[in-house]
Amino acid sequence: MLARIAHELYWLGRNLARAEFTARAVEAVLQAELQGASDAAPGVSFGSGGLLAMLGDDHGQGNTSRTLGQLILDRERPESMLASIERARDGARTVRDVISAEMWQAINTTALGLHRAGQPGWGTPAGPFLASQYIKERTSLIWGIANRSMLRDEAKCFLDAGGLIEISDMVLRMLHVAMPPTDSPPADGTALILLQAVGGFHAYLRAVTAPPNADPVARFLLFERSYPDSVAACVDSLHEVFMVADAGPRNSKPVLRVSRLAADLDFQRRALPEGSELTGICSETRQELGYLDQDVAERYFAGAAAAGPRGEL
Amino acid sequence: MHFAIRFLTEYHYDAPVTDNLNSLRVRPATTSTQRCDEFHTRIEPEARIARHLDYFGTEVIEFGVPTPHDHLTIDVRARVVTSNQPDPREGSWESLRSASYTDAAGEFALPWQDQPTIAGLEDLEAAISAETPLKTLERLCQVIPERFEYRPGATYVGSGVDELLRKKAGVCQDFAHLSLVLLRRMGIAARYVSGYLWAAPDDAASDSLEVDTHAWVEALLPDADEGGEPQWVSVDPTNRRLADSSHVKIGHGRFYADVAPVKGLFIGGATSTLSAAVTLSLLDPQSGAKP
Amino acid sequence: MQSRAASGGLADGTEMPALDAAPVRDADAVYRPRPPFLDELFERDGTPRPTARALVAALAQLGPAGLIEAGRRRDAIFMQQGITFETGGGDGPTHDRPFPMDLVPRVLGGAEWTSIKRGLAQRIRALNHFVDDVYHTREIVHERIVPWRLVASCSHFARAVHGIRPPGGVYTHVAGCDLVRHSDGSWRVIEDNVRIPSGISYVLENRAAMARLVPELFASYRVRPIDHYPQLLLGALRAVAPSAESEATVVVWTPGPANPAYFEHAFLARQMGVELVEASDLVVRDDVLYMRTIKGLERAHAVYRRIDDDFVDPLEFRGDSLLGVPGLVRAYRAGNVAIANALGTGVADDKAVYRFVPEMIRFYLGEEPILENVRTYLPSDPEVLEHVLGHLDELVVKPTGESGGRGVMIGPHADEVEIAQMRRLLLAAPDRWIAQDVVELSTVPVVDADGLLVPRHVDLRPFAVFGERIDIVPGGLTRVALEEGSLIVNSSRGGGSKDTWVLEDGDDADRAGPPIADTQPPALPDLRYGTWVAQQQQQQQEQPQQRGVRCPAPRR
Repeated sequence: MLARIAHELYWLGRNLARAEFTARAVEAVLQAELQGASDAAPGVSFGSGGLLAMLGDDHGQGNTSRTLGQLILDRERPESMLASIERARDGARTVRDVISAEMWQAINTTALGLHRAGQPGWGTPAGPFLASQYIKERTSLIWGIANRSMLRDEAKCFLDAGGLIEISDMVLRMLHVAMPPTDSPPADGTALILLQAVGGFHAYLRAVTAPPNADPVARFLLFERSYPDSVAACVDSLHEVFMVADAGPRNSKPVLRVSRLAADLDFQRRALPEGSELTGICSETRQELGYLDQDVAERYFAGAAAAGPRGEL
Repeated sequence: MHFAIRFLTEYHYDAPVTDNLNSLRVRPATTSTQRCDEFHTRIEPEARIARHLDYFGTEVIEFGVPTPHDHLTIDVRARVVTSNQPDPREGSWESLRSASYTDAAGEFALPWQDQPTIAGLEDLEAAISAETPLKTLERLCQVIPERFEYRPGATYVGSGVDELLRKKAGVCQDFAHLSLVLLRRMGIAARYVSGYLWAAPDDAASDSLEVDTHAWVEALLPDADEGGEPQWVSVDPTNRRLADSSHVKIGHGRFYADVAPVKGLFIGGATSTLSAAVTLSLLDPQSGAKP
Repeated sequence: MQSRAASGGLADGTEMPALDAAPVRDADAVYRPRPPFLDELFERDGTPRPTARALVAALAQLGPAGLIEAGRRRDAIFMQQGITFETGGGDGPTHDRPFPMDLVPRVLGGAEWTSIKRGLAQRIRALNHFVDDVYHTREIVHERIVPWRLVASCSHFARAVHGIRPPGGVYTHVAGCDLVRHSDGSWRVIEDNVRIPSGISYVLENRAAMARLVPELFASYRVRPIDHYPQLLLGALRAVAPSAESEATVVVWTPGPANPAYFEHAFLARQMGVELVEASDLVVRDDVLYMRTIKGLERAHAVYRRIDDDFVDPLEFRGDSLLGVPGLVRAYRAGNVAIANALGTGVADDKAVYRFVPEMIRFYLGEEPILENVRTYLPSDPEVLEHVLGHLDELVVKPTGESGGRGVMIGPHADEVEIAQMRRLLLAAPDRWIAQDVVELSTVPVVDADGLLVPRHVDLRPFAVFGERIDIVPGGLTRVALEEGSLIVNSSRGGGSKDTWVLEDGDDADRAGPPIADTQPPALPDLRYGTWVAQQQQQQQEQPQQRGVRCPAPRR
């Protein structure tokens, strides 16, 4: 597998996941606004400011719908959903020979769909909500097609790896924003919204007996292996995926790092008592994921990265 | 004349680069008037060197440095013995059309690339035109330095003849290219020569000189007799004279790009700074000492 | 589908099924060939030739409505599969459109094909010798057969590869020589293509499409299979690769998706089961070529390159090329990589050099050419120039530097303005042009917008692979000028293509044997190939029945 192709597939996975989770977060914010700020505890907000913060942008608490509009459809912002989908489409076009025609068409149609100003209702105040619904549905479809029509080979591994890393990162960010380190305990209503945003509400109800308050929800999203989008589950899957893709997993930095991370999370799950501070773990894990991304680039894509700009004597 | 030549080039990159591939055309040729006795190459970082003769018969040295590095040193030393070229024979314009001339001329008589119509060429052609090809060649060596100023910096490596004509100034490379265009237009086969020139230093006692690679021209002149072989005659339009034993030839081609002294590429976004020096030292033929 | 009785019959009284007439046409809608041009399926009087009878009957059975319908299905399939070709209509913007494949196949008999094959193999061998000669001893120049100036002024003469001899001495691994059939029935070579000839993917896709769309047409014929081309190419590349093991790593090198022929690059890579690489995936270290993979650098032994020489290595050719790999020529010189086609082969398919190919055949092979050239004039000679200027309205004038039919002037079709302009161009730069006698291209029926058959001019580009021996895929790409009366068939100028059938009606067969990499004793053609081909034909004939509904014409 060419380094360049693996690189594109990895980023295809990341961009798709980023678009999807941004859409989910947007939805969560809108839900929160609809329900009213009943838990208006100081310093906690899952409003649009929080959303922007989660996506890495710290300025301004502008008008909600405009901010959201920017988040969704502002091509200039790299973190907007449109930009993510467009990057995904560009990447998919490059690897058209590797992904199935169906998958390419699904991605292409999604990107075209976002462009069309004529989409019913998008001009209205409910526009952002409709758009995020659209993206949620389409990305699920795309992953569904990928999982059914692609061979379980290296190509799929890199696609999945990108997706998994992005999902874990997004979940950790959302946790960080929803439950920042303050002296007062985080508001419980926020935790519920967060849970609904990632789509794990029903899974939570089946897995955990406690009511969806801040701490159990955070633990669930971090450690619950049987929930596929939990950080621990993603890390486990990453390990599997790299074991398949890597020619020499014993000496592979990414594989080793993922193993350590999985073991670490498992240890923390057992060692940390209920109600203890989780922000430390969240930020450490995020950091590890950042290093993992670098390891992956070095080990598998170093070839592609090395084909950089040329100079003449 | 006996010379020791040292071609030393150093590149510094402001960020590490990799896959640094280079071709050098710096070795003095061995011809009927010149002999290269010794030749050594040193590259740093160390690199494997491959050599071959290119299409025009010039020796090419190739090497590559794959691993990251931030400087490159190319150090070439040679010893060469030169002698004057024989006096050129006075042939006629008609002889240019003979079969033996056409054979010997080969591709060097072909028009200069696309031959754009450049203003001023007809004028120059008229100025150098003479009764015989040899006389034309001699006139060329007078007219060009008269009409064009030798001024480094007026043009650059990729400049064309039209720039020289516009700016009325250039360097030896431009003078040589212009000469080639003119000569070929008049039916005289001509080729571009790259080499080193011992331009005697002001201080008569000094036996060492720092130079740049120099460019001049070889023109194919018909023999005085009908049946005689045409001869390649070297002329240096920049220095207003026929070439002699102070000219050390590296190789020839159709134009500069065929004999560029150094060609290279690397991977990396760095800017390179270059410091190059070619040192020519006059040797006492008896002592044969290395510099 | 209504079928009306014929308005005329054959001389022996047999009834000929008429083609359906659309109401607006005259009642006598018989196919009209256009003499003096030879029509390959119909006689002058509009009756089908013997080999074409079953085909014509099957076409009549389909009728215009059926043909139009099949055409719609074809367009949909081709668009979906991405088999498009970028066309530039003059100054207009380029756009993707389905590659126009016409539904009526061209049919060639086995015996006819044999002589074409032999002629092509002879020609390609001579061209290969020529390339080798030009970059080494230049014997043909010393013998004063080809002037050196012609070779040296050829834009594709690659001084950088002078003196290099590739493995096996093969330079022209893939060759596509364009043939036309003159009105006297003889085949002439109109142009050689030995740099990066393209079009084989259309040949393969056309056959597949025909089998899907109009299987009933195949019913009465045994058509030689062509799907072994990728195997042939892979075998040839492996045979010339400089590696000890039989498993040399072969790659297809493409300039990228922006290239109009990208579809074919990807197609061939897929069919051969090898990587499709771009310049950024390749690197030369220590004079060895590598691919960048997730496992690090992996060596590439043989490269099927679809990039022009000029862009292949920025150190030796165009320095501004971002499509090239620095150091590739070094690896090539060191004998560490095989490149197909070799660098510098363009010197053999230059339009002016073409004029000397018959002499090359005599000089290198000591044989008389089996296939004729079209008479060609080189205006660089003043006497020839005079003749050409005096007959511009009778000649075809082509620029030596262009391809794809650009800049061609066809004398008999040109108006005064064009002729005057050509006169000026010729006087300004006579060595930039060649002139040729007009060849009266044969015609083959195509389906027009109303579903009726009309004659259009065609040429033929068979594809040859030269590895350990020369193999030629039966038939090749028939290119057709879709405009009535037009003689320009190039796809980039709005031409289309046809499936080309070579019939299995003799002893000679084309099926390549087992992979060339294994050493094998000379085959006994009849026994070995006979059974193999018969099995293939079996499959072919079963296809129509699998399709279901239509009952094919009774088998002959």
